[in-house]
Amino acid sequence: MRRAAVFVALVLLAWIAWDTGADPARFVRGLPWMLDFFQRMLPPDLRVLPAALVGAWKTLEIALLGTAVAAVLALPLGFLSARNVASPGVFYSARATLNFVRSVDTLVYALIFVAAVGLGPFPGVLAVVAYTTTSLAKLYSEAIEGIDRGPVDAITATGATRLQILRWGVLPQVLPLFLSYALYRLETNIRAATVLGFVGAGGIGFYLQTYLRMIDYPAASTVLLVTVLMVMVVDAVSSKLRARLV
Amino acid sequence: MPVTMIEVTGLRVVLPPDLAAVDGVDLAIRPGEFVVILGRSGAGKTTFLRALNRLVEPTAGVVRVGGREVTGADDVTLRALRRQMGMVFQQFNLVRRMSVLDNVLAGRLGWAPPLPSLVGRFPAEDRRIALECLAQVGLADFARRRADTLSGGEQQRVAIARALAQSPSVILADEPTASLDPALTGSIMDLLKRIKAERGLTLVVSQHQLATALAYATRVVGLRRGRLVFDGPPDGLTPAAVATIYGDEPAK
Repeated sequence: MRRAAVFVALVLLAWIAWDTGADPARFVRGLPWMLDFFQRMLPPDLRVLPAALVGAWKTLEIALLGTAVAAVLALPLGFLSARNVASPGVFYSARATLNFVRSVDTLVYALIFVAAVGLGPFPGVLAVVAYTTTSLAKLYSEAIEGIDRGPVDAITATGATRLQILRWGVLPQVLPLFLSYALYRLETNIRAATVLGFVGAGGIGFYLQTYLRMIDYPAASTVLLVTVLMVMVVDAVSSKLRARLV
Repeated sequence: MPVTMIEVTGLRVVLPPDLAAVDGVDLAIRPGEFVVILGRSGAGKTTFLRALNRLVEPTAGVVRVGGREVTGADDVTLRALRRQMGMVFQQFNLVRRMSVLDNVLAGRLGWAPPLPSLVGRFPAEDRRIALECLAQVGLADFARRRADTLSGGEQQRVAIARALAQSPSVILADEPTASLDPALTGSIMDLLKRIKAERGLTLVVSQHQLATALAYATRVVGLRRGRLVFDGPPDGLTPAAVATIYGDEPAK
């Protein structure tokens, strides 16, 4: 049974390799061109550093604002899609909505919002909000489903209302987790926001794309370096903060 | 004061799939009694206590507290009745990340204005009551500490303060000493006895330890497999009665 499954999987992968034209020889033949590409990127053209920094700052802003708004919007959604809080009808429709919205990536939302509100960082923020709200709501709801039942019983026994039980029995247990998830999404959103500029939704991606199109590789490499540095710094700061939360 | 504080008639609680955890119990508890519910683990003590304030929904029967019906009460009435019954749990059930004072303040939720309480604000009077309750359990200096930095015995005292903050007429305590060092059993039971005297409370405490029941109860109620098999003063607990409660195996 297991052997048959392995065999089927190998055949399938082999067929996919043929279908996608995956060819190691072709990759090896391309290596000199990649080397040439990197050589032409060096040395980085530092005259574009100010522009790259402005782009990086915009990207950071898109990720920060988008994640912050999403972290709040996801709160009610998270409770509505937690099995142990919401009634079954609400739970299933909320989960279905989340899975539907979440199935589309931030970049695709950016395309839609650029068409709706025009170019610039704003559609980027909207795209981050759309995707992050639903993905955070899913994480929130799982945190809510994993809480300790005991304090909830104790708060219920005081004669508290349903909302008071959520606020005093559930929220204190999950809030640190929520913050940790939001920071984690911030890290991934920084990465996602670097390419939003490709579709006109603002940030450092716009500069990268522009210089690549102008075949100005030294300038593009400066932008890439700034991007890498920014992502590394945000990751480091964010994971420090997260370590202190849990 | 009503003649009967808690009146239980024909109480039956069937837990899924089909376990009759409480199987037809009749009991009337008078104000000021210190009732110890005695029985082996699994005898239905916890389910019985939780059915009194409907943390577990009874399948059949009637529960009255202070003359008002708990079973079948609407939401508002049920909350008012729950407020009258402070509850103490085996695992303390504090919100571990909150301060000691906030945990005790949660006991005021049934009284506090709902909207401000949702943003964490309580009237000065509620804060005063909470601090007073903390002082009554001897933990006035612990108000600002995080709950999970306290020892087990201290956490259970905080939980008792939370129950007291409800200004209850009854305290239901479900095996309040079972997860504590045996040496602490006496101090928690002494505390319950003291606050009962100071506030004129009615206490219903479940216990699996016979010695504790004998030392503190004014009345012992024995449960076995969800049925009431003994009801009387502690000195009525003859070896035969104990055997009925605990079954064939010797009592712990």
